[in-house]
Amino acid sequence: MKLGIDIGGTFTDFVLFDDNSKQLYFAKTLTTYPNPTVGIFNGVKELEDKFGFPVKDMSGIVHGTTLVTNAVIERKGAKTAFITTKGFEDVLEIGREMRYDIYDIFLTMPKPLVPRNLRMGVTERVDIEGNVVTPLDEDALQSLATTLKENGIEAVGVCLLNSFANTSHEKAVGDYLSQHVPNMYYSLSSEIMPEIREYERSSATAMNAYVQPITDKYLKDFETQLRTSGFEGNINIIISSGKLTTIDGARKSPIHLLESGPAGGAMAGVFYGKHLQEENLLCFDMGGTTAKACVIYEGEPEITNHFEAGRVKRFKKGSGLPVRIPVIDLIEIGAGGGSIARLNTIGLLTVGPDSASSTPGPACYNLGGEDPTVTDADLVLGYLNADYFLGGEMQLNVEAARKAIETKLAKPLGISIEDAAMGIHKIVNENMANAARVHVLEKGMDPRHFNMIGFGGAGPVHAFGVAKLLNTKRLIIPVGAGVTSALGFLVSPVASEKIHSHIAELNALNWDEINVFLKDMENDGYKFLAQSGIDKKDATIQRVVEMRYYGQGHEITIDLPEGTLDARTIPEIEKRFIKEYEFRYNRSIEGMRMEMVTWRVVVQGPIPEMEVKQFSTTVSDADAYKGTRKVFFEDTGYLDCPVYDRYALKPNEQFDGPAIIEETESTTVIGINSTIQIDKDKNILIDLQH
Amino acid sequence: MQETATTFDPIALSILWSRLISIVDEAGTTLQRTSFSTVTRESNDFAVVLMDRKGRSIAQSSVSVPSFLGVLPILTKALLKDYFPLETWKEGDVVMTNDPWLCAGHKPDIGIVSPIFYQEKLIGFIGTIAHSPDMGGQLWGAGTRDLYEEGLMVPPTKLISEGKPNETLFNILEHNVRAAEQTVGDIRAQVAANDQGIKSLLKLMNENDLIDLQDLSDAVINASEKAMRAALLAAPDGCYQYAYDTDGDGLGAGCHFEITITIKGDEIVADYAGTSGAHYMSINAVLNYTFAYTAYPIKCAFSPDVPNNDGSFYPITVTAPKGCLVNAQKPSPLGARNVTGNMLHSVVFGALAKAVPNQVQADCGSACWCIVLNGEHKGKEFVEYFFLNGGYGARPTMDGEHVLSFPTNVANVPIEVLETDVAVLVTEKSLLKNSAGDGEFRGGLGQRFSFKNIGEKPINVSMVAEKTKTVAKGILEGGDGQMGSVQIVPEREFPSKGLDKLFPGEELILTLPGGAGYGNPANRDKAAIAEDRILGYIS
Repeated sequence: MKLGIDIGGTFTDFVLFDDNSKQLYFAKTLTTYPNPTVGIFNGVKELEDKFGFPVKDMSGIVHGTTLVTNAVIERKGAKTAFITTKGFEDVLEIGREMRYDIYDIFLTMPKPLVPRNLRMGVTERVDIEGNVVTPLDEDALQSLATTLKENGIEAVGVCLLNSFANTSHEKAVGDYLSQHVPNMYYSLSSEIMPEIREYERSSATAMNAYVQPITDKYLKDFETQLRTSGFEGNINIIISSGKLTTIDGARKSPIHLLESGPAGGAMAGVFYGKHLQEENLLCFDMGGTTAKACVIYEGEPEITNHFEAGRVKRFKKGSGLPVRIPVIDLIEIGAGGGSIARLNTIGLLTVGPDSASSTPGPACYNLGGEDPTVTDADLVLGYLNADYFLGGEMQLNVEAARKAIETKLAKPLGISIEDAAMGIHKIVNENMANAARVHVLEKGMDPRHFNMIGFGGAGPVHAFGVAKLLNTKRLIIPVGAGVTSALGFLVSPVASEKIHSHIAELNALNWDEINVFLKDMENDGYKFLAQSGIDKKDATIQRVVEMRYYGQGHEITIDLPEGTLDARTIPEIEKRFIKEYEFRYNRSIEGMRMEMVTWRVVVQGPIPEMEVKQFSTTVSDADAYKGTRKVFFEDTGYLDCPVYDRYALKPNEQFDGPAIIEETESTTVIGINSTIQIDKDKNILIDLQH
Repeated sequence: MQETATTFDPIALSILWSRLISIVDEAGTTLQRTSFSTVTRESNDFAVVLMDRKGRSIAQSSVSVPSFLGVLPILTKALLKDYFPLETWKEGDVVMTNDPWLCAGHKPDIGIVSPIFYQEKLIGFIGTIAHSPDMGGQLWGAGTRDLYEEGLMVPPTKLISEGKPNETLFNILEHNVRAAEQTVGDIRAQVAANDQGIKSLLKLMNENDLIDLQDLSDAVINASEKAMRAALLAAPDGCYQYAYDTDGDGLGAGCHFEITITIKGDEIVADYAGTSGAHYMSINAVLNYTFAYTAYPIKCAFSPDVPNNDGSFYPITVTAPKGCLVNAQKPSPLGARNVTGNMLHSVVFGALAKAVPNQVQADCGSACWCIVLNGEHKGKEFVEYFFLNGGYGARPTMDGEHVLSFPTNVANVPIEVLETDVAVLVTEKSLLKNSAGDGEFRGGLGQRFSFKNIGEKPINVSMVAEKTKTVAKGILEGGDGQMGSVQIVPEREFPSKGLDKLFPGEELILTLPGGAGYGNPANRDKAAIAEDRILGYIS
């Protein structure tokens, strides 16, 4: 039995898989502050009470949390210092000197996580090739250690220039600190992100140090409490790339946890795709404040290492702190159920990115919100059922929604409330489709070649509209759409990811040196897997290099050929590079030299098999057809639309759109010109005719 | 079914408008990802613009730098008027030029325009402009003596005719520029970006049953124009003057700027009468470029949120005496005209501070310093461009940011990347204490950046620095920022603009100016002063 636990901002989700019955069980509790482990154990108890599965019987637990992300956004990390090469203390504050918004003269840049008075230089210098130019001034470390103690520093990040080329000075600083300032956490850039570009490396290192003490304490508590409850299995933590690490791995590099929740969602997409035999999928996840989209290509999520945390202007690229860690490449759009609709300065209707959040929330929540939101529009249009929101736990006020839309939008525009509501619905769909289209095109792919899978609270309400805009052929609304991240945790593999910066032209590589470091990275990976009880023979190796045409700035990722590499491998590498380049950009450049930049070795355990027989745990024997209600569609206006109870739908049932399918966590809205089919596991498959 | 101009309701227009912007952004992304030019790639030194049949811009890529504001429509209108009349365009044509008076004021900026045909009818144009890796001539910088030293000039010419490449032109290009494969590669990337934009636009036309762009074009242009006019109308009418001095060559031949901004009703006129004449160094700006850098701070002050297109600029008029520094004529050298363009915000905001003090910022420690290093490293020739920025000016409600690019938007080159490409060792990069102008809100700090030649051969240095003899001027009683400097160790003369060599063992120390303050320093919050002291921003 395996358990996935996902702590989100509002809810903590649980997914339990029973190997014997091949059944999945779901549970949801409120996230508890300030100590989220309380919520976890509430849920654990619920699973035992409701289904009879005590935690001590579990063979494994996979966990993900928003703890790290929130600590960065809310600036609630530890008191952190930063040590760097003397003369370069301000690199962390200066950043890249570039604005993220061209026209906003009132913009503010993100403040560094370590203020200027806590950044300290040490005399030392290594050149780009790793030669020591100035030896490390070890005597200076003593006064530095004293300063750290006097200032009550809890964590320190160390990033020296060119340390990716020679780690000895950083290691020496680390050793000194561990001996002379015990109980203080320290992060070395050569361990956290051994890659060229000092600002990005400093940023990641400072952030790792900043979140390490709280993450460490939290994970320690989490583990202790589980062990006290009699749990003896493996504990793994999901990281941003959709892989699993150990508790120790997470405690050492907590920045890898930044995108753990979204990564789980994408991995659920991978799982469903495999289950439904869909190799290429666009995952679309829409919640209360944001929507996310990511591409699964040939059964694998796309990975990127361009990521920013703690943006000062949400959704604005460049306004955050860069962290070059492998993350599942997803775009986040300021579009959710709570997104506010308003008329902009030139009188056009716009939606988001600001959100009414949960307080005051949409007008229809009756909690004092006066701004019309996407949820209000969906309610007015008849997509949502005022009496069956969150399964009836929350009564929605249609009149309040109509009034907000009328006052703020319909009247000023001189149109009907329904037309204004439809406008909101269409514009938010358009925003999401535009962003998804750019995202797919950036990868050199065609959005029409992807079927879509929709989840999240608002995902099933809007997925049909977005799919129409993207010319998607098939849309899937899976079972368990409300707890997908936690489900994704259970189908993610344990893996070690090692990176190494080594920049050289393809024709001028020292192959012996490369074979040695690739082998070392591979061996480190086996050792890491062993900690989760995974044998070397069950591991798969992925060796990739990020390379580019000499003179370009964007690298693309190429799989390296297997075995020992040498000059004879060059034509094969060239061939792979050109193939990938042409795929991404529809062209290649003849005779252009190529350059290798970063080498990565992923040693991965097996992907957990989940042969699922039965997804749904809430089954109803009643008639699925609940009757009809008035629903407003763009092409038809109001019509009497059939409404179904998702829990009562039978496998292999088939009917035509329009239709509304209700379940506790969400509502699936299906327009005209479509066919709906319920598969054997009760996933909803919708075929769209364009 | 064709919709007419009157039937774009606010919802339909909102949707179509965001699709148009998304189309140029998609094309821009493609261009950026495949270009070799460092400035195109790292500093967004490019623009993609969708235009209607009259050459009026409908949508411009959102991340482009200010220098390209309004340039492609000016170019396209000129192409239609003087070179290729509307009826002569064929499907599959592509026109190229780098004529500084038609494009963005110096030869490295290449404009590429393609017509868009839908159902066999010409419905509009798409253009890209981008900074190419090289256009021949002298090493780029402020030191050229005339236009001809600045490399190859291609007058508007068909690069591709009905799908057939102009081999002669490609051949000439390949024989006249350094790193030909990169320059030609980037030109091809621009053509590919245009093609991608065309493809996406045709899809939009198809899906929305449009057969023509004109009505949609009118609708978005009118909306942007209306927003700009409304903002101008809210500002007090009047004539606002400001005078400003910059380094020039830094040796005594300085530049003087004078501006008179007249706001009358919903129109604004900026006139540069009184500005000094053309300079002997290559820092002269053509009027196109002056327009872009004048319209930019005006847009920031009055209509920052509305997507820009032709309509945003209809209420703005920019004039300057023919032949002066900001309306240069042939054969004035233009290479480093960015130094002059980067100053115009200081002049415009300086004048506007008297009309709309809450909508402007104090002077920045700009222009952005550009340093080009050329020499040999590990047996290979290198040409490395890198950039450094000074402090940002204070705002009416907040301090200026330290070391931030304005009005252009150029990132620095990472130290470790610089050391990979060139035989230098960087010795310091730090914020410069006490360099910001004081004020109710203070400016941002400048920086110190120094590096040493650790190779065996001299490195050619083309230096374009500014504010080594002048300062960022405070406004509304705010203090001035600290002046910058260029020093070399062992000490000798080193020009702040122009060419010199850095010999092995020599160290170049660059001190970038601080940003200016806003408002009377006596009104500064005491807690803010205390915090600046703790953080070591001031002593």
